[in-house]
Amino acid sequence: MTDYLGRRNKIEVKNLTRRFGDLLVLDHINFTVAEGEFLAIVGPTGCGKTTFLNCLSKLIPTSEGDIYVDGEVANPKKHNLAFVFQEPTCLPWRTVRDNVAYGMEVKHFPKDRIEKKLNDILNMVGLADTANLFPNQVSASMMQRIAVSRAFAVDPDLLMMDEPYGQLDIKLRYYLEDELIKLWQTLKSTVLFVTHNIEEAVYVAERILVLSNKPTHIKAEVLVDLPRPRSLIDPKFVEIRKQVTELIRWW
Amino acid sequence: MSAMIKQPTNSGTGDRAIANEVQEAVGEKKPMTIYRVITNEYFLYCVSTVTFLLVWQVIGQSDMFKGALASPVQVVLRFDRMLTDTLAGLTLWGHIWASTSRVLIGFALASAFAIPIGLFMALNPYVDAIIKPVFDIFKPMPPIAWVSIAILWFGIGEPSKIFIIVIGTFVPCLLNAYTGIRLIEPELYDVVKVLGGNRRDEIIQVSFPASFPAIFAGLQISLSNAWTCVLAAELVASRSGLGFIIVQGMKMSDTSLVIGGMVIIAIVAWTTSLLVIILEKLVCPWKRKLEGF
Repeated sequence: MTDYLGRRNKIEVKNLTRRFGDLLVLDHINFTVAEGEFLAIVGPTGCGKTTFLNCLSKLIPTSEGDIYVDGEVANPKKHNLAFVFQEPTCLPWRTVRDNVAYGMEVKHFPKDRIEKKLNDILNMVGLADTANLFPNQVSASMMQRIAVSRAFAVDPDLLMMDEPYGQLDIKLRYYLEDELIKLWQTLKSTVLFVTHNIEEAVYVAERILVLSNKPTHIKAEVLVDLPRPRSLIDPKFVEIRKQVTELIRWW
Repeated sequence: MSAMIKQPTNSGTGDRAIANEVQEAVGEKKPMTIYRVITNEYFLYCVSTVTFLLVWQVIGQSDMFKGALASPVQVVLRFDRMLTDTLAGLTLWGHIWASTSRVLIGFALASAFAIPIGLFMALNPYVDAIIKPVFDIFKPMPPIAWVSIAILWFGIGEPSKIFIIVIGTFVPCLLNAYTGIRLIEPELYDVVKVLGGNRRDEIIQVSFPASFPAIFAGLQISLSNAWTCVLAAELVASRSGLGFIIVQGMKMSDTSLVIGGMVIIAIVAWTTSLLVIILEKLVCPWKRKLEGF
């Protein structure tokens, strides 16, 4: 199985369903993510995006269906899953450097590999200068960059991001989105980016899945085959943005 | 789009890379004026302390309290003598050490047991369910209430005093270790879980370090309780210690001895709490900037 660019399917989500008592939140969701793909998921507020990600990351059990990595049921102890939460989740007692290294430590990467990866990533995201500071000495946006770096550092099979830049101002968001794309292109990770910001989704993703209102299912799939770096005023960009906006509006 | 945003530069500015928005305190240079000097915090500290001592001195020298209030000068002179003269076979240093050693032993014993128990209770619901009911019975009991029973059980020697200190310090140590763990943000555990960490990773990497600040806050409260307890124990029955000095001063109507004893306790207790602060800074270096140290 390959995607439209001929890439192998890495992640497969089959019949993902989640109920809370009688409330059906996720309704038989099916999709695949190709190896090295940047997939964005957009949906209206309250459509169960967080539940969806919690199921995918195995933080909560599913009611039916599952997520498969290379054909096997995903298991955080076996597969490399990484998650960037909405809120910055740095460990306050670790320096910037040790926070970025943290995921690799939990996964028992060898020391020299950790060192090398750390230096590469810290330089790539411009955190090398502040590597020895503690999180309470840096700004909120930097904390989120630390979390993003920590997630990329483990060479994840799947990197999930839950509106990581939702709380930042627009200028910083553009900057961090560019940085994210740079990381993704360099490290060739498979990324699943959840956001309610349509423009952001069209800017970063190769493909967008549009979620419906609760009970949530996938309503549409939109390919974003625009060259990079993308421009927000490119007519094609505007067209795709409008298309996705319409899809979200028509529930 | 990215062209309009300045890229972070590695221009050898160390921790001050502007693009990385490091939070730093910036001091502004202002010219010295009389207004600035008299509104200076430290200047006002001095003014208030000196005024207090002067008023005390004047009242002490006057006949207002009929000799029941020693002046600061009298207190200092009295304690200068205490450095060489002995009271019940000990100099001032001996008495200071007698109290301090009791405090340290009791405090160390209590924290060695209370902190692990508090951590266990917070981390394991079964341990919590077993210990909490009993703990809740003892929790509201003031430690001083134990003085009489301690003397009946252990006599008037060292063990009874240390027992009271242990009782007085146990509760805040345990409670703070317990709440320290309970108040950890659940997202921090999620970080470990998603990365495939096990329960051991969660406890060692998140629970313990996250609870340190609360534990140290508990140790500070415990230490001040320990000084209250040692004093109570020494006032009731003792042949040494700062409480004993105060009782002797009372028996001999020597107010400079009583007041001096009080002042020395304040100084020694403050010094021991300073040691806890230093220890905290060593164990929790990440808290430094937050607390403004």
